[in-house]
This record gives sequence, structure tokens and C-alpha cells, in this order.
Amino acid sequence: MSRKMDSAPRHGVSFRGNDGSSGTATPVSNEQARVAFYFNGRSIEALPQDTVASALYRSGRRTFSRSFKYHRPRGLLCVSGRCPNCLMNVDGTPNVRACMQPVQDGMQVIHQNASPSLETDFMAIAEKFSWAMPVGFYYKTFTHPWMWHLAEPFIRRAAGLGKIDNDPNAVTDHPYEHVFLYTTTAVVGGGPYGIRAALEAAEQGEQVVLIDDQPALGGYLRYTGSVKNTSGTASHSDTPAEGEPTEGLDALVKRVNEHPNITVFTNATCFGLYEGRLLGIAHKNPDSSVAQRVTQLRTERIVVATGAYEVPVLFENNDLPGVMLSTGALRLLGLHGVTPGERAVVVGSTEAATSAANELESAGVEVTGVVPPDQVVKAVGRKHVTALQTAEGQLACDLVVVCGDWVPDAGLVAQAGGTVAWNEKRSVFATSDLPEGVSAVGAVTGESLPPAVGLSTSSAANSKKVFVCPCEDVSLHDLKTAITEGFDHIETLKRYTTTTMGPCQGKMCQQAAISICAEQTGQTIQETGRTTSRPPTSPIPLGALAGPHLHPVKRTPMHAKHDEIGCVWMDMGEWKRPLYYGTPDSKRESVEQEYWAVRQRVGLIDLSTLGKLDVVGSDAGKLLDKVYTNRFSDLRVGRARYGVICDEAGIILDDGTVSRVAEDRYFITTTTGNIEFVQEWLEWWLAGTGMCVHITNVTGGMAAVNVAGPKARDTLAKLTDRDLSNKRFGYMRCRQAEVAGVPSLMLRIGFVGETGWEIHFPAEYGEHVWDAILEAGAEFDIRPFGVETQRVLRLEKKHVIVSVDTDATSNPIESDLAWVAKLDKDDFIGKAAISRAKDRAPREKLVGFTMDEDVLPPDGCVIIADGQPAGRITSVRFSPVNERIIGLAWVSAGLAVAGQTIEMRVDGRPVTAKIADEPFYDPAQARLRQ
Amino acid sequence: MSFLIPCPNCGKRSAYEFRFGGEVKTRPEAGSSNEEWLGYSYAAANRNHSQKEWWFHTYGCRQWLFAVRDTMTNEVTETSLPEEAP
Ligand code: FES
Ligand SMILES: [Zn+2]
Repeated sequence: MSRKMDSAPRHGVSFRGNDGSSGTATPVSNEQARVAFYFNGRSIEALPQDTVASALYRSGRRTFSRSFKYHRPRGLLCVSGRCPNCLMNVDGTPNVRACMQPVQDGMQVIHQNASPSLETDFMAIAEKFSWAMPVGFYYKTFTHPWMWHLAEPFIRRAAGLGKIDNDPNAVTDHPYEHVFLYTTTAVVGGGPYGIRAALEAAEQGEQVVLIDDQPALGGYLRYTGSVKNTSGTASHSDTPAEGEPTEGLDALVKRVNEHPNITVFTNATCFGLYEGRLLGIAHKNPDSSVAQRVTQLRTERIVVATGAYEVPVLFENNDLPGVMLSTGALRLLGLHGVTPGERAVVVGSTEAATSAANELESAGVEVTGVVPPDQVVKAVGRKHVTALQTAEGQLACDLVVVCGDWVPDAGLVAQAGGTVAWNEKRSVFATSDLPEGVSAVGAVTGESLPPAVGLSTSSAANSKKVFVCPCEDVSLHDLKTAITEGFDHIETLKRYTTTTMGPCQGKMCQQAAISICAEQTGQTIQETGRTTSRPPTSPIPLGALAGPHLHPVKRTPMHAKHDEIGCVWMDMGEWKRPLYYGTPDSKRESVEQEYWAVRQRVGLIDLSTLGKLDVVGSDAGKLLDKVYTNRFSDLRVGRARYGVICDEAGIILDDGTVSRVAEDRYFITTTTGNIEFVQEWLEWWLAGTGMCVHITNVTGGMAAVNVAGPKARDTLAKLTDRDLSNKRFGYMRCRQAEVAGVPSLMLRIGFVGETGWEIHFPAEYGEHVWDAILEAGAEFDIRPFGVETQRVLRLEKKHVIVSVDTDATSNPIESDLAWVAKLDKDDFIGKAAISRAKDRAPREKLVGFTMDEDVLPPDGCVIIADGQPAGRITSVRFSPVNERIIGLAWVSAGLAVAGQTIEMRVDGRPVTAKIADEPFYDPAQARLRQ
Repeated sequence: MSFLIPCPNCGKRSAYEFRFGGEVKTRPEAGSSNEEWLGYSYAAANRNHSQKEWWFHTYGCRQWLFAVRDTMTNEVTETSLPEEAP
């Protein structure tokens, strides 16, 4: 066998069995430019204009997939991306429609949902058990939970379509892109009507975007030459009718391309129409580096020119490979030059059937008969059609060309809020009541469509093999059963049988399901109605919707310095912060060394990530009094105070320090990552009050450090002229000062429990100040410390971390912060709720605890009392100074008594701890004030 | 949710640029009854059709504004800055 195998398949699947081509292969002639791709590891030759499906069909392949439930062989049906029959895995992406996927050199295509091969699929046994899987199988079978548990592993294995590549790197292999655009007019559908609408709008000076899901404009004109004046052969993009432009396709396309106001998107599927006239558009491979681009196109006017499409005719074995829609056969012929068969029977009664027969004959296909739908008994054949059984006998053939009814492709019209309703007089679905700014032209309106022939299923001998919904293997029999079981409303029928819920989203089956429902319930089609149409109108990969994996990273001005020293990084929101300095395996020693540096000598931490606000104006104090639970209008210049912000329900939103740097100026710090929220919150309470306050976020403009420890004063004294003595710069004071020559704001605060200063200064001096402090502290053996060490130090002081130790139900009273709520103030946000909380008995309290033994419970560990959950741990660490494990926990109020023993389970073993009401380190605050 | 909000400062922008602040309510006077506070904090009128709401233009001018929105169609019929609102 001479087959090209110049590269191994990338997706390591092995194949057995024959290559199973049941049709006649047409060799690609030598003169034509060729492309080669791989199907199940075998090289397939293709022409540049080929899709994966057309190339496979030319190579002789007739089975393209196995059906979802019964694993029946399926072949090409619509050849326009509207049915489930050609889903394949292309370069690792599952469920790609082979008939819409242009071939590329070296592409790796593998089949889905069949094992070992499409030709021999062991799961086809499922059909033998169809009696065991009636319609509504899940509801009828799994009436007790244990039944489901028993069956689940088997069902999980059999269910679903396609396999997702679990390799996380695969995501970056398929880059997605998002683009946002605006235009005055968008025309969806590049058939003759769409082209004409685009030209008209452009002539009037509008900026036009013309969108089509095919590789070139033209709609049905691209593949029907001689038959373009009959309504039955339209493509999905448009249907010819009276008033159709008489200009040739080339001339039309030329005019579009030359018009300066028109932008054309081809290979672009408009998958949704959203509020504000926003179109979602998916472009496949817009360039070689992007797998899919999603464009959000905002418009003033939308013209829907999506045309109509053909749907299957119902007869027994209508899903057999070789049974193909007439438009599918003509597309193979006209777009790809592939002869769909040797001997064809055409099913249809309209003149479209005659036209299709003529077209096929002129391409050299022998047409053995044209049969009206109501004469068809069944398609004959095991894996491929071999004959069509009619009322009068069998017609041998290898192709059944079905001229079905036409359905307007009106998903976008419905999403826009327009009506798509059955027109009884003309026997078609038609659109009406379009909202302002949205219009429809061409076949999508239903106007030019031939009347639907409707059902002709009475002659079907075995309604179990008449497939209405090819996606979910729902048969005529299933639908009738469901209706007799009471699911006689189109919406409940849909949910019970899953018809219209598969990959084609009802394109192939909705019309038939409605007709059957109407016929069985004795209603008209209009009364039966349609199920709701929602985006996406055609499937789109979740990755494409999610878009590129971009996520902003914020680095502090001293980032490079931390890297130089060597640290383990952590993410805090968008910020990168050193967790500790050292290597991933040195955590315990590093943290302890940093810890002792702060407790015994001096430590330095980068606090640049703190949110910082400059609040200026004569009413600044008034605003802060309203927003914070405590008072700031009485804060003297040169002083700092801790503050808490609550919402009107008394829930803690944020905390930080507020320093009064001038009569009309406050400097506020907020929790890392919460700055935008706090600023919006302040602005909100300011809005419309007429108060004179200006709030500026200076987070990015300011760097900040904390220098803490018994030697902090000696270290900083070398860098500033400010008198740092307790007398001139006491605890909770703030001063402007030069530090290492840089104008700074120094705050005598610190949450680590030692003498210390927080220093805020312009970000551009970040590295300079950092280096200067390390140098000045060198003689005291200064050490930089990270977030992990800071957490241990803070925990020893029992400082609550908002949103770690508190959550969306925590108020200050229960969070051990009652002292910050100044209930004697006239008014502040949350006052009423906090007063209520104070008056009623608390349910839970945040308390400190010390473990009785050397066991480290995990964060979130549940506390148990009398065998019932009675709280949870929020922070827990080893305290080097106490040589004990300490923590904070929420416990039910009854347990919140000093000395009380609490219980929890760690690694399945009960352990105990004691409640402590004092901080674990320096409860008298003596060291802080030194 | 992809409707447009005409920001008085920035012009028509996608709702994704904004943060929703809920319907505009009148805050009770200090010292009001518990019932009034509870109603203010937890009850929403949730009007059908025209509703006056707070929106913050996060990715634009970073201002709070009032918008009158049709809650059935998401059409914003009117916007104003709180300082200028009638
Ligand atoms: S044949 Fe490809 S989707 Fe129908
Ligand atoms: Zn704005």
C-alpha cells in the first residue's frame, strides 16, 4: 500500500479494521494543486477548495459518524454545517463539522463516537437494546437514587460526543481572540439578497459589514448554475425568487469588493443577536495564529438575509448513508466538484426535484427515478443505501437525493424579538413584527419559499426507524409515544424526548417535530407554536466565548529587588507579593528567621499593594464620619486612626488606617485589592450631596514599606532628620518627612506588634528607599519579610484580616471589633444595623484559640460541640514565641468564653484547643509604644 | 446583557463598562425605626418597566450616575449626574 505517512498522527489514537470506504474513490488528477491531511492517520489527498468532508467523500468515504444513541452509521446529509452527521475531531478540537472545515496541509482528523472504527462500531449493539431505552428513558428508569448510582459509570462512558483534550497546554495550542467593532449597518448572509442590501446601504453612505459563513460570497449562486430560477435549490444564504438581481454573481461580488464602505467577513458565523443590536460573530482561523476569533459587532441597523435551508423527509431508514438532501448533493457537486453518486433516485414532488435531477444528470449521475415523498416506503441497505423501496417496487441506487421542505433560517430574527410564525395560507414559517433597526430580506422572511409538503409518514411501516431528530436518535415512534404519555406541548415534548436539543439545535428536526405534534394533537401548526430560539444559533467552542487567557499582573516598584534576593511569590488579587524570601522548600526556616528578625531586631516589608486614597476638601471629615463606623472629623492633624467601613446591613466591607495630614486632607489606606471598591463606595456616598470632597486613588503612584522591630528607630534615624523619639513621634502619629532624601509620609503604626513605621513615598523611588533601608539596617542584621511572616506576626496580635477572618455575614460586634463602632455618632452607614446587632444576643463570635497539642488544623476546619458543628477556623499558624499553634475561629456565642475547650477533627482524629481572649503577644501593647 | 448606557460624560457605552448600584432609594433619617431601616436595606421595589437606578462608570469616567432603565427591555431612556439631577 503506497500511502504517504510523513508525520505520525499528533493525537495518539490507534486504528484497526479496514479503512472502510464504501463508495467509489475518484482520484485527484495530477495537474491539480494538492493538499494532504490525515484521517485516522492515513494521508488523504485534497484540492485547495476542499473541506475535510468533500475530500473524504472524493476519496470514497461514505460513513462519517455514528449516531449518538444507537450508533447507526451516518453519512453526509446537509453538507452545510446544519446537521450532526459529519462531526469529527480536527487537530484536537472535538465536534468540528467536517463539511465546513477547509482542509489544511498536515491537518489531523479523527473520527468520533465509534470504536474501533466508523465501519465496525461495537456500540452499534445499542440498537438491539432500543426496547430497553424507550423515550424518556432516564425518567422512567432512574426512579431511585441507587439505580442511578449503579448505572452511572456505564452511562457516563456511553454518553457525550467527542473527547476534550485534557492537556492544559492544549489550550494555548488553540488561541482565541476577541475583537470589538462598530458599524452603522450589518448584513448577515452573503447571498444575492444580502449583497444587494449591503450595496444599497453603502450607496447611502452607511458603513456596512457583510457577514457570511462560507469562504466566499454568493450564497446559492455559488453552486447552482442552470437552476437558479427555481425556488427549491437555494443555499442557506438565500433563495432566489421574483425580483432577484439579474446581475451575475461575479459582477455583484466585484461591486461589493470595490465599494469603500463595505467590509466583508467570510468564514464568519453570526451566532447571536443580543440587546443593543450587538452581533456575536465567530470567525474560524482568521489567520494562521488564531483558532477562532469572536467579534462583538455593535450596530445601528441589522439586515438579516440568512435565507432558508432544506430539511429531511421522513421515511423508514431516512438516516442511511447515501440519503442526502438535494442541497447537500448540489453543494458537493458545485462547490467541490465531487460526484455524489453513480445512480440516484430523487425524492420530491416540487419542480425542485426535476431541477435537481437535471443537474445531477448533467454531471453524469444516472437518475433512475423521481419519486414523490408519499410514494416512498423506505430506504434499503445495511451500511449504505442500495435501493429505494417505493409503493411500486424497488429502485436500485447508491444515492437518494431528498428535496425536503424549506425552513427560514430565522434564529436571529427571533432573538431580535421578531415573530416567526406559521403562515397557514402559504404553508410556510414567515417572519413579522421585527423591532426597530432590524429588518429581514429574502428567503428568511418566508415570502419566496415554496409551500411545505408536510408529513407523509402514514406509509412508514416501522416508525421506530423513521428518524426525526438525527442528533439524538429520536424517531417518529418516540415522538408519538411521548405525546400519548402526555407531553403534548411542544416545549414539554422537546424536553422529554430531547428532540431539537442536539448539536443541530433543531435545524433538521424542529419543523418535523412541530408537524408531528400538531398532527397527533389535532392542533394547527400555528397553535402548536415553536420552541424559543436563543443564542448561539450554531455551536461555538466555549474557549472562543471565554476568549484569550489574558490576566493583568501588577508588580510593586520593588518587584525586581525581591527577585534579586530570591523569594517565593504569591498572587494577591492582581498583585504579586513575596510570600517569604527563600526557596519553595525552605518555607519553615525562612519564615521563622524573618519572624525573629522582626521580633528581636528589625524587618522590612513591601506594602506597596495597599490601597491608598488622597481625600481632600473642606467636607472630607464629614464624608469619612458618614462612611466609617468611627469618627475622623475630630482626628487631629498629625494623627492616624484605624477605621472600619460597613454597609447598611452592618457587614464589614474594608478596614485600614486614616491619617489626617492637613486640616482638609486625609490619607487613607485600604486592603490590597479592595481599593477600587472603597473608592467607588466613597464616591457613591458623596454623589449628589454637594459636599466639597475630592478623592484620588494614588495606589499606583505611591510605594510603601513597613519597618518594624526593636531596631526600627535606629535604622530609620540614619535616613531621616525627623525626631523619631517616642515624645516627638508617638504611636498613631503621622509626619511628613524625608526618608533617604525622598519626601515621604511616615505613619507610626504597625500591625505586627513592634515599634514600627509605615512609610509612603513616590513609586519611582521604590528601589532607592528599599536599598537605603536595607543598608541602614545592615548593622542590626535587618531582614526583608514576606506575607506569610506578616500573617504569623499579625495573628499573634489577634488582628483580624477582613475577608479572611470575616465574610459576607460578619459585623464588628461579633468580629471582636465592637470598639470601632461609635454608636454615639449621629449617623453613619450601618449604624442602625450595628445597634441592632449590639442589642440582640450574638449568634457567633470571632475568638482566638491555642491548640492543646502540636497539630495544625487546616484553614476552614470545622469546630465541633456535642457532636454538632459549632464554628470554623479562619486563620491558624505556628507561633514561634509561644511555641504553640494559635488561631482565630468563629464559634457559637456560648463557646466564646476564655479558657473554654473547643474540639475539632484533624486527619480523622479529635483534637482540642482553648479559647483565649487576650492577644497572644504583648497584650499590653508595650512593645508597640516603645 | 449587552445594552447601552448613554453616560452623560462619555456617551453611549456598553453596560459591561458599568457597575450596577441598584434602584435609587431614599435613605431613612438617622433615628428612624427598625422597620424603616430593614425596608431600606433589604426590600426592593423591583419595578416593572421604568426604574431609576444607580450605575457607576467603572471603565470610563468613574462617576456615579442615575439611569432610567426599562426593566423589561433593558433600554436606558435617560441618564443624569446626581449633581444635576432634578
Ligand atoms: S453534513 Fe456536515 S453538518 Fe450536515
Ligand atoms: Zn462615563
